[in-house]
Parts: sequence; structure tokens; C-alpha cells
Amino acid sequence: MKHAIVTENLSKVYSDGRNEVTAVAGVDLVLNAGEVVGLFGPSGSGKTTLLSMLGCILSPTSGSYRLYGKEVVNLDETKLPAVRKKLISLIFQGFNLFPALTAYENVMLGLQIKGITGPAADKRTRDLFAEVGLSDRMDFLPRDLSGGQKQRVAVARALASDSPVILADEPTGNLDFANGRNVMEILRKLARERRKCVIVATHDNRIEDIFDRILFMEDGRIVKEVNDIAKLKLMRELTSSSI
Amino acid sequence: MFYVALRILLYDKVRSFITLLGVVFAVSLIFAQAGIYLGLMETSSVIIDHTPGDIWVTSKNSKNFDFSQPFPDPIYHQVLSDPDIQWAEKLIVAWGVIRQKEGGTEQVEIVGFNPDTGVGGPWDMLEGNARNVKNGNFAIVDESARKRLGNLQIGDYRDVLFHRLQIVGISSGVKSFTTAPIIFTSFNLAQNLITYVGSDSTVFVVAKVAPGKSVDQVIERLQARLKGVDVFDKKTFSAKTRLYWTMETGVGFSFLLTIVISFLVGMLIVGQTIYNSTVEHIKEFGTLKALGASNGDIYKIILSQAFINAFAGYLISLCITIISVKIYEMNYMVMAVKAWLNILVLGLTLIMCFSAAFISIRKIKKIDPAILFRG
Repeated sequence: MKHAIVTENLSKVYSDGRNEVTAVAGVDLVLNAGEVVGLFGPSGSGKTTLLSMLGCILSPTSGSYRLYGKEVVNLDETKLPAVRKKLISLIFQGFNLFPALTAYENVMLGLQIKGITGPAADKRTRDLFAEVGLSDRMDFLPRDLSGGQKQRVAVARALASDSPVILADEPTGNLDFANGRNVMEILRKLARERRKCVIVATHDNRIEDIFDRILFMEDGRIVKEVNDIAKLKLMRELTSSSI
Repeated sequence: MFYVALRILLYDKVRSFITLLGVVFAVSLIFAQAGIYLGLMETSSVIIDHTPGDIWVTSKNSKNFDFSQPFPDPIYHQVLSDPDIQWAEKLIVAWGVIRQKEGGTEQVEIVGFNPDTGVGGPWDMLEGNARNVKNGNFAIVDESARKRLGNLQIGDYRDVLFHRLQIVGISSGVKSFTTAPIIFTSFNLAQNLITYVGSDSTVFVVAKVAPGKSVDQVIERLQARLKGVDVFDKKTFSAKTRLYWTMETGVGFSFLLTIVISFLVGMLIVGQTIYNSTVEHIKEFGTLKALGASNGDIYKIILSQAFINAFAGYLISLCITIISVKIYEMNYMVMAVKAWLNILVLGLTLIMCFSAAFISIRKIKKIDPAILFRG
């Protein structure tokens, strides 16, 4: 079986000429289609840098990164947009919706970038809004939507391209529990039903049961991997009750 | 992407209004300065341009139409004797003083022409006929000077250089660059009025080359034969006159300077507002990049914003300019806005706005992807 994402010794070192800071140090990953993976760790642990590299918006300093079997590390800067366009969707904590465009237009813009226009784009956009439960809010400007609704629009935009890999950075960071949970359920549903590979960088322990696997990062390295989420949750509960 | 740009502009209403105002201000100023300059240049050579004939003979080293010196009459006959000359006419242009009805004086530019042929005389008469200046102390004034000379009417008398002249016609479209009113008289009367010209001199000879003959060859021949004068073709003498007023008086430089400043101010205003808008939307632009948009896709949004500002600003400025031209005309001033000037200013406006967008494009090019992940 071809893995969705395979990295070997993936590293990122920031340098200003005098000092060097290692943001990600030799990460080995194997992620598959249909699974939802959580990336946990304290601030500065390298989650966002790793996510940026997996999203092909930041070039690694060294290592290998194969996306659906294709090595993307040494790809020319001009070829990366095409890779992102075809294979990757991104969801951000800050939503990053165009305030001047309606929810519908924001999603349409995402489709336009992917080269989908006309009636096909319109139908797909309406379907996506139905999927995220916002059909009645399509013509609203972002300022007229709640945080949870904005994030669902951002999810719809990310889904517009039907990319096989979805990367989300703190997607529940600006949401209350119910809305956060709702967004994560949508992502899990996508992974299950459409065989998407979903990677979520988060601090939010409340949603950890959504994940199939959780990777813990510290100082740019993956220090722990948990496959049995139920066990992890139970241990957490026991620890907090004993305290 | 054009639609996105338009929506961003419509969303940021105050900023867009200020940008548009900046463009309108700059472009209207460019239009006005260029139009007034061209208008002034048109008036500086208006008589040359409207006088038939191909060749102008002037005194040696004559710099322009308004300040030429007289030269002896025989030159006229020498010009006429050239086998390739169809006809030649003498013309006097000199300065004089007119006494106003209430006693004050005004400086005037006197043009003495042959009323039988009309060469060098008024070409557009509102009242009377150009031939009416013949055989007497008669003069024609232009409508633009009418008010200044005490609301002159046909039949009125005025003293010009201590000679009592009767007004026999009102011309149209004859305005001097120097703003001094132009008065047309017969050539003979002008010789009498302007004593330093005298009865055996003229200030210009205007000649027509016979059909099929080379103007350049005739000029070359005349220049070699005639002593103490210069020989120009009509276009060159017109350009020489315009160039004189442009360069020697500093008029050209000051107009050019204002145009350049307007251009820079416009560029600054548009550049600053587009840049601010870009910075404000940097995360959204970054997100588009992350979704797979190329830099080119985002440049299209920025350039579309610049284009919309440029085009809308240009159209509004054009309307303002058309109104200004009418106001100028009503006040007997000339603001020349030709089709080529419209195209030139449109080009300048686009360059101004696209250059202004350049800084924003650089910003987009250097988007740090990390900003996308900062909540």
C-alpha cells in the first residue's frame, strides 16, 4: 500500500548567519489515507514548522518527504503551488477568510484556484456548505458569522479541492467546545468516508478521542506516539483524579 | 481575481475613496497642466499655423514669431523671383500701444497683412470681413480681447500708436501667448504705425512653393541666396516659436515639474493605500498561496486593484477636464486636450498605479508562511 506521507529524518534549521535554531530535528513519519493524526506538544515544540513543511509551504533544511510516493523536498519553488493545489488542503486557527467576500465566495475562490469554475464550482460549493451545515449562511460576510461558523467555512474551502491530505493548525483554538468538536467530527468523517489523511496540530486535549493516533513533539522531535487513545484518555483521567 | 479585487475595494470604502481621490487629484492636475501648456503653445504659434504658405523668411537669428526684426523689402522680391515660388506675401508683426476709452493704455501686438490675399490675417471672422481693413485706418480685434479693450464694437475708434483707428471686424481664435491683444491692420497701415519698420521693410515674408516642387530644396536655395535672413518651413518656424516659449521662459520646465510632482504624489497615495490593503490582507493572500495559488494569481488581485483605481480615477479626471476645457473656452483661454493627450494621460495613470502596486507585489513575493499559523 502506498502511504500518504512518509518523512525520513526531516529537519528544519533557522539561521541568521550567526545563530542556528533547530525547529524540527530528524522527524520520521508514516501517515496513511483514512487516518486522523493529532500532533500535540507545547508551544515552540516544532508542530507548526512540521505542519508547514508537510504543507509544502516551508522547505526543509534536510531529510526526505514523500507525498503519495513523490519526493517533494527538492522541488523547485515554482512547482510547489501545483503540489499544494493537487494534494494538500490547509485549515488555520485564524480562519483567514477574505472579509470582503461572502462565505460562498470564499469557498468559490478556493475552487477557482484549483481551476474549477462555472456551474460545477457552484454545485460543489453548495454541496460543501450542506456538508458543513451552513447552507443558510452562504451569503453572509465573515464578520456576520460566529467563530465556529467561520471555521466551518474554512473547512469547506479546504475541502473544495478534494485534496487527499488535510492539514489543520489549531482548528479548534478559537472555538468553544461544542463548535470545536463539531469541526473535528467533520474532519473525522472526511477521513473515514473519503479516505483523507488528516493531520491536526493542537493543544486541545478535549478532542483527543477524535484521533486514531497521537504524536507528541518536544524540541523539534517526535518523543512519543500513542495508538490507543482510549487508554491515553483513561490514564489522563486517573492522573487528574489522583491529583 | 478581478472580481476579488473589486470586492476588496468596495469593502474598504473609506480607503478606496481616499485612493480614488488621490488618483483623481493627480490625474486632473496632470491633465490641467498638460492641457494648459499645450493651449499656450498653440496660441504661441497660432498665426503661423493658420497662415497658408510653406516658407517663412525671418530676420537673421530670429527666435520666434513675436520678436522678429524687420529686414529690407528687396528680400521679398528675391523670394518672389525664385522659379519654384508660386506666391509670396509680406507680413508685419510688431508691438504697439492702444489707448483705452477711459484713458489707460494696453500693449498690443499688431499684425499687418495684405487684405487682398488675407495671408497672415484673421481666418475666422465673427463680425465684419478681413478685407475691410483695406485703404484706411482700420483694424480688426479678436473677441478674446474685446472685454480687455473696453467692450469694443464695430465702428468704435481707438488710438493705436497715436493713430486713430476704426474697428471694422471682430475675429475669433486669435490669442497671443504673451496675453497682449492682437490687432490686425493692413500691411500698409502697419508700416505707417510702426516707425522702426518703415516703408521699405517687412518683418516676415511668407511664400508658397509651386505644386510638385520640393519645399526643402527651395529653402536651401533661398538660404544660400538671401543675406541677413533665415528661411524656415512653416512647421519648423512654428516649432521654433513654441520651443522658444517653452525653454527660454521656463514655462516648459515649470509645467513639466508640476506634472512630475502630480505623478509622484498620485503614485505615493495609490502605493500607500494598496500597500496598506495588502498588509491588512496578507494572511488571506498567504492562505491563497497555501491553497495552491501561484504568486501570479495574487499579483493579479493587486494589479487589478491598481487597474480599477487607475481607470476609475482617469474617467473621473477626464470628466473634470472636459468641464475645465469648457470653462476655459468661456473665458477665452485655451486648454488643449487632444485625443493623443487622453491616451498619454491614461498610459501615465496606468504606469502610476501599476508602479505603486509594485511594492505590494514585492511584499506578496516575500510572504512568510509562518504568518498563516499565527492565530
